[in-house]
Amino acid sequence: MFKAKMADAKLLKDMISAIATLIDEATFDINSDGIKLRAMDPSRVAMVDFEWPKTVFDEYACSEPMRMCINISEMLKLLRRTGKDESVELSLDEKTGRLQLTITGKYVRSFDMPTLEAVEEEVPTPKVTFNVKLKITTDGLSQAIEDANLVSDHVRFEIDKEKMVMRAAGDIMGATIEIKKGSDALLDLEAKEASKATFSLSYLSDIVKAAAATSEVATIEFSTDMPIHLDFQQPKEGKLTFYLAPRIEVE
Amino acid sequence: MGVNLRNLVPKTTVRLNSLSGKSIAIDAYNALYQFLAIIRQPDGTPLKDHTGKITSHLSGLLYRTANLVGMGIKPIYVFDGVPPALKEVEIKRRMRVKEEATIKYEKALAEGKIEKARIYAQATSRLKDYMTEDSKRLLTEMGVPWIQAPSEGEAQAAYLVKQRDANYCASQDYDSLLFGAPHLLRNVTISGRRKLPRKKVYIEVRPETVELNMLLKELNITYEQLVDVGILVGTDFNPDGVKGVGPKTALKLIQQHGTIENVMPTLKETQFPVEPQRIREIFLHPKVTDNYTIAWKAPDVEGAIGFLCRERDFSEERVRKALTKMTEGMREIKGKVTLETWFESST
Repeated sequence: MFKAKMADAKLLKDMISAIATLIDEATFDINSDGIKLRAMDPSRVAMVDFEWPKTVFDEYACSEPMRMCINISEMLKLLRRTGKDESVELSLDEKTGRLQLTITGKYVRSFDMPTLEAVEEEVPTPKVTFNVKLKITTDGLSQAIEDANLVSDHVRFEIDKEKMVMRAAGDIMGATIEIKKGSDALLDLEAKEASKATFSLSYLSDIVKAAAATSEVATIEFSTDMPIHLDFQQPKEGKLTFYLAPRIEVE
Repeated sequence: MGVNLRNLVPKTTVRLNSLSGKSIAIDAYNALYQFLAIIRQPDGTPLKDHTGKITSHLSGLLYRTANLVGMGIKPIYVFDGVPPALKEVEIKRRMRVKEEATIKYEKALAEGKIEKARIYAQATSRLKDYMTEDSKRLLTEMGVPWIQAPSEGEAQAAYLVKQRDANYCASQDYDSLLFGAPHLLRNVTISGRRKLPRKKVYIEVRPETVELNMLLKELNITYEQLVDVGILVGTDFNPDGVKGVGPKTALKLIQQHGTIENVMPTLKETQFPVEPQRIREIFLHPKVTDNYTIAWKAPDVEGAIGFLCRERDFSEERVRKALTKMTEGMREIKGKVTLETWFESST
């Protein structure tokens, strides 16, 4: 048996929409402590790692550990129907294998959707030693990424002890975005050594845009030509982090 | 025709774009024959240039490969070499089928039965030497690696996967499994929409993967026993198989008795054209080569346009578009790294 209720449906909607940037089908690990998910996107360039302890929910009950796989883009469609001050309740009917999603506000509507066969694949954590760690406001980060997105489909991060520079070079235009340590956006910066790496903007932009809705501050870790790790600090308990593989420059 | 194991094989449908970043060893002859069968005018005439040279296969090769590369998939084409001597019967049978189809095609055409003509035409495809040469030339110009197998292309493709030089083997036939390909991919070179034979109905063809390990586990047999099942059903080297033994019976017999040698005494008719052991050898120890290099390069756009548009009468606008897709795809392929690079036991 699994049942969970959230007074603010927006929380769930934003979280599901952040996860849905990478995957269509999501297999959640559910037990009496809370729910978890770790998955890679189909092309295995990016990974999402998500955890919500039961305390994030207003009501939570799970009788035994289970894996629940759902079509997350379909679920997102339902959650997009939620409005202000509405609550949402999830409950899994194990007999029929259907997930019921009830939105309560001015009126009550109940949707039900099928669960899918759970994926058994375990996704390991990438082994990376990070040389740079920085704290940035998600607003500052998404603004900078949108700037870069205007001119190119990838962006190069160059970070040293003093500043973070993002360079984007497109066929026609180019962009350089500089954020200094101590500015309003860049809250903290530790660099063991200057590091550079390039990332696909289509991934980065989708991830940051969606995750920024759930979080004010992100911790970024990276090293030269290594995957970037983005940790979006959650207002309540819980965890939302992403890994994104770099692009290796050719010619 | 390849061995008929369709009903025994567990398949998983996949999306083509989920294969982004994966390398695929494609059975080139298998793909070219499909292009030749499908890419035809309504009356069954293949595409030709002004000198009468057939170009259907080049059209398929260009657009399909550009599509794959555009998705970040890394194709490797593997061409057949000299067929094993035992394939002679099957080769003769295929020739006969084509000759019969050609007669029927010409008759239908003469009678003005266009739709029938097209159906027969599909079975007349022959791959002439110049067509293979044209295909290799085009692949080189597209920056796509191709490998000349010493013997069966499927055996070499399976070998690439075993050596981890490719992630998947792509073929419509199940023979790759008998050659020991750990991961087989079907419906890659067709895919999209496919007309049902003799009907005006289109079905969506989705790529599917077959995992050899899963297949063996599910059927509860060893790889060597799977080869024996194949031989009972009939392979390219004993096309008739054993009379009255289909895939299901063959599986049951091997599950019960272990090997063909043990099965034989239980059957009324056990005529094999040759010793089963000789056929088995072809699958278990096929002739393959280590002499290959695999590299994806930016296409030689002007070279390919010169060949296809000036020599083979393709439309320059369409070819250019496909090549642009290739160029972008190749850039993506070279620049893209997956997170698996950083997993400790990466596969």
